[in-house]
Amino acid sequence: MSQLEIQPDSHGTDHGHDHDHPDHLGHHWENSKQQFEAGKLGMWLFLATEVLLFGGLFVAYSVWRGNHPEIFQYGSQFLDTFWGALNTGVLLVSSMTMAMAVTFAARGNRKGIVICLVLTLMGAAGFMVIKYIEYSHKFHEGFLPGFSFYEEPSASHLWLPLEQEHDQDVAHSTLETEAHNTAFAHETTARDEMPLPPPTAEPSVVPAAGTGPEGLTTNELALETAEFAVFLPPSVIGNLENQGPELDFAEHHEPGEEPHLPHPLQDPDRPPNAQKFFTIYFLMTGLHGIHVIIGGFVILWLLLLTLRGRFSRGYYTPVDLGGLYWHIVDVIWIFLFPLFYLI
Amino acid sequence: MTTLDTGQMQKPDLAPRDNYLTHTRGAWSWLFTLDHKRIGIMYLVCVLSAFFVAGIFALLVRTQLLTPEGTIMGQDDYNQAFTLHGAIMVFLVIIPSIPAALGNFVLPIMLGAKDVAFPRLNLFSFWLWVSGALFFVLALVSGGLDTGWTFYTPYSTDPNSAMGGMIPAVTGAFVLGFSSIFTGMNFIVTIHRLRPPGMTWFRMPLFLWGIYATAILQVMATPVLGITLALLAVERAFGIGIFNPELGGDPVLYQHFFWFYSHPAVYIMILPGMAIISDLIAVHSHRHIFGYKFIAYSSIAIALFSFLVWGHHMFTSGQSPLVNVIFSAITFSVAIPSAIKVFNWLATMYKGSISWNTPMLYAMGFIFIFTIGGLTGLHLGTLATDIHLHDTYFVVAHFHYVMMGSALIAMIGGLHHWWPKITGKMYNENWGRFAFALVFIGFNVTFFTQFMLGSQGMPRRYATYPADAGFQIYHVISSIGSYILAVGFFVTAGYLLQSMFGGRRAPANPWGGRSLEWQCSSPPPHDNFSETPTVGDCYDFSVLEWNEDEQGYVWRSDIPHPGEEEPGGH
Amino acid sequence: MMSTLATILPAMLGDATGPTFWMPEAASSVAGEIDWILEFINVISYIFFFIIVFALVYLAVKYRRDPERKQISGDGPTHNMTLELTWTIIPTLIVLVIFWVGMVGYIDLRESPDDSYEVGVFAQKWQWTFSHPEYGVTEGGELTVPLGRPVRVIMTSADVLHAFFVPAFRVKQDIVPGRYSTLWFEATKPGSYQLYCAEYCGKDHSKMLATVRVLPEDEFQDAMGKLAREYEDLPDADLPRYALVRLYNRCSSCHSLDGSTGTAPSFKGLWDRTTGGSTVFTDGSSLKDHMGSGGEYEVPENYIRESILNPGKYVVENFTNVMPNNFASQLKPRQIEALVLMMKHMDELVDEDGNIIEPPETEEPKESAMTETTGDGG
Repeated sequence: MSQLEIQPDSHGTDHGHDHDHPDHLGHHWENSKQQFEAGKLGMWLFLATEVLLFGGLFVAYSVWRGNHPEIFQYGSQFLDTFWGALNTGVLLVSSMTMAMAVTFAARGNRKGIVICLVLTLMGAAGFMVIKYIEYSHKFHEGFLPGFSFYEEPSASHLWLPLEQEHDQDVAHSTLETEAHNTAFAHETTARDEMPLPPPTAEPSVVPAAGTGPEGLTTNELALETAEFAVFLPPSVIGNLENQGPELDFAEHHEPGEEPHLPHPLQDPDRPPNAQKFFTIYFLMTGLHGIHVIIGGFVILWLLLLTLRGRFSRGYYTPVDLGGLYWHIVDVIWIFLFPLFYLI
Repeated sequence: MTTLDTGQMQKPDLAPRDNYLTHTRGAWSWLFTLDHKRIGIMYLVCVLSAFFVAGIFALLVRTQLLTPEGTIMGQDDYNQAFTLHGAIMVFLVIIPSIPAALGNFVLPIMLGAKDVAFPRLNLFSFWLWVSGALFFVLALVSGGLDTGWTFYTPYSTDPNSAMGGMIPAVTGAFVLGFSSIFTGMNFIVTIHRLRPPGMTWFRMPLFLWGIYATAILQVMATPVLGITLALLAVERAFGIGIFNPELGGDPVLYQHFFWFYSHPAVYIMILPGMAIISDLIAVHSHRHIFGYKFIAYSSIAIALFSFLVWGHHMFTSGQSPLVNVIFSAITFSVAIPSAIKVFNWLATMYKGSISWNTPMLYAMGFIFIFTIGGLTGLHLGTLATDIHLHDTYFVVAHFHYVMMGSALIAMIGGLHHWWPKITGKMYNENWGRFAFALVFIGFNVTFFTQFMLGSQGMPRRYATYPADAGFQIYHVISSIGSYILAVGFFVTAGYLLQSMFGGRRAPANPWGGRSLEWQCSSPPPHDNFSETPTVGDCYDFSVLEWNEDEQGYVWRSDIPHPGEEEPGGH
Repeated sequence: MMSTLATILPAMLGDATGPTFWMPEAASSVAGEIDWILEFINVISYIFFFIIVFALVYLAVKYRRDPERKQISGDGPTHNMTLELTWTIIPTLIVLVIFWVGMVGYIDLRESPDDSYEVGVFAQKWQWTFSHPEYGVTEGGELTVPLGRPVRVIMTSADVLHAFFVPAFRVKQDIVPGRYSTLWFEATKPGSYQLYCAEYCGKDHSKMLATVRVLPEDEFQDAMGKLAREYEDLPDADLPRYALVRLYNRCSSCHSLDGSTGTAPSFKGLWDRTTGGSTVFTDGSSLKDHMGSGGEYEVPENYIRESILNPGKYVVENFTNVMPNNFASQLKPRQIEALVLMMKHMDELVDEDGNIIEPPETEEPKESAMTETTGDGG
């Protein structure tokens, strides 16, 4: 145990061992070894809290998947395994270079540390670039979490002011409004809080005529309404369901990775609440992405310290701890990738 | 650097000119200090301020309930008052009170370390606490908060139901959670890595064992609360539907997540309290603690069991009966270590030499109150009776007996115990005993009546109640008790503050404690121990004797102490 | 605590179903068992409490240090394995017994008999609706159940969590939106008992009360029969009073009768405001703009009707719409008619302070029964 090896206090008068530099050694530590081990223990505890933080989301994922497996089967079709696998590879390589940086640090090879940290940083940046490509594609297609999901894909009609929509769509019956008030109160709220349209928006890109209230297809409305049967008078439900599908707007999304799949909003076979797949997808990968960004800054900071010559064979604790952090970010992705892309 | 000899007690009037209070000056040197003692003091000031605010809300709640139709507030205001009382008390006061405030001050000194392992992280935790508190203020000004401290869905996530301050409040609780995590991490690493030679695990004062068990809970349970609250905020902001039944979500899942953290959180509150009491009883009985290992292990056992019992908050929420039965069974297992502690404390008093000092009175008050709190836990852990008692004032009374009457009373007892060490001044003992009597009587009058209220059927969180149900008399008694309690706290604040200016100078060891904090001067020097202190059996009080000149305890003159041969000793 | 015991012992020996020091009146078949378990735990608690507090006080006094004697005395044992094991094992055995007793009682609470009478409970902020599928009858504010027959309650909620809690029956169950939860009880004493919402549900949580009225079988059948017919048979002249006594309790947590504004506009003067068209809405328009021939509402009655069925359409200035909009499925046309008439004749029904004016002619038996039941809460 370390405390058996504790040296007598060398505070103030510096005649300790050769690697006992007061520069990096806190005043409350006996020696570098003690400080290093404490740092390492602290980091491991922190990583445990990180795992638990993600653990909550993994439990949420399991519960959702257990309750609604069809949503996950359906939703995962829209993810592109190619980009996911590429990202996995990028992270694995960066994890390796990070490990090499730690090894170089232990040997006191500053050049090695710098090269490896730069490579790792490039890995982090590459991961985020790929993430950006994936995310922006999904945003464009309208694969959004929560209520935003029900908005039209890539349509500037989203930004239509309410009055204009009312003018166009005079067919709103009282009952529809009523149903909309009950079942879609949230949507209304979410919508009301949305920013005003940019003045240059072209309202005519996608005709709103094919949609029910709040950009929902009427078919969609019926699907959703079924879930609220308890709360709605039968007359309302009947009226909504009898309107029939009006899926007359064309597939207009870019020819991307999933051209054969109908867009969810136009897909009559879409399971109810399909947006929840994208919700948990964005939550988990988003939180992971935040960790990658934080990790990137940590690596950058380590790089600066290295360039300033702060590390030596006797003291490279930050590199070691940064490495641990980067590995856990990597490991979490290793779990996320199969959960979303593969199964 | 200065220094007084750490080996033993100081000579009278040799007040340390350079102590942690005077080491550097200016607001800046406090706000960005890395000294665990100053951080502890800042926590103490902030926590007690929050306690004051939340206490005002409690008095408003009690005043409102004097009459069946409500005395001073409308429904919405009442809902805000009890929510803020609960949320502030839990997140801002009780959870950080003992570990972050007293623990920060005492733990490194008790351990014989110069600081906690990560002083910067410690300061960061403190500022996280401050920002968490600011988020709660933001919640107040951005529409208020009326969800109850539990933030139950779907009420909290429905913009048409809960008030607008939900997201700031949840963010605040999230930030405070991380403050708590970092404090816990710091303490675990400190205890593992900064023990001086001779300080083995089983030589640690029981306070350290309690804080260690607490720290494990803080580190292991709080992240789950963090992610739960994050989900809650995202759900409310974007309607992701994880807890919303209208979108296929599960509101009961939230309760599982929440209580998976919040039940261990109950022990984050009570374990440090028990830890303080273990030391208070031994020191003020001047008697070796009885059953050291049983007390130490029971803390760890409570910490571990507490992860397995969260479901007992949900007996009526629609879980399957089998799940309820299992949770009920595990719940009872937590009762055992708690009972062990109580019996060991009593055994410690046997053949002691008990000084009826204020801290000891608080410790005895704790045993009384905790016994009631623990025994009424039996009623609630039992399935058949919990169905009737759940969400009534019986539960309110029970958790006040445990969280307030036990955890906070222990904190106040500990504050009195270490007050001479923290400030270097003695408070007025007579005022202390008087205030204790007020607090003890006020507390029991306030909350014991609530057991009857609850079992008679009064539901909690009611702003008004039926006039003909016979509840009013209990409410009136309870409210009167709360006023007595408030007076008790004001008297306490009064004489403690007075002592800082007019109090007698405190000796290094006014009570006769043997743990290491009593070996350094009062107040301690900037880096606690200039020399590695000598560690002995921290419950062997036979080596100390009263010194009339110093008005404190010193090493017995007829026994050579282990530090004698060290240079710089006597 | 002494006085506690002094109070409780006579209470325990006395009327077993009356209120005791700890428990309210017992009026269900399971109450006796629950009360017995509670008393059992109580007795164990008293024993431990007295042992511990006696030891605490005795030791504190007996071993109090002589203020003059400042010498430390540190004798006394520091550990004793036998003692430790004793006070570990004995409490363990005791809590095992308590757990077992509680589990058995719980199973009795949860397992409803097969031949139970079923009642539907629909909870929403902040009102109760009770339905009797067997009779096609809906009640609000009062749940009528038969005496001596197991009643199975099937509950759901429209909005947030609520909980069904009748202290006299010792039953409680959370009501979760989006799913059904159940509980059962068998009332053993006729009378009226207080029903509370026990899970916090927002602003008027503490007003979300109702009464459970327990009637002997024959009276119960009569009551159901009357409920099924009452608004069909009533002459039009009696409809306003019917609405006030029977239907208004579903509105009362938000709409006052005395002019005070709570969550929603008061019903007092509502008719005048409507006919005068003075009401101003959140969108800036006033009722006058929508009234009259050619307007949206030809007669004031239509506006009131619309406001009940579709409350979100026009929201009165300074209020937000929190009213449930499912009354179309809850109210029969004649009941809506009754409500509209109630608004019209509000001045004749309630006085300035919102108190119900007794009808001048001799009371009908139905109404006397109604006032009787609202008189005493459980």
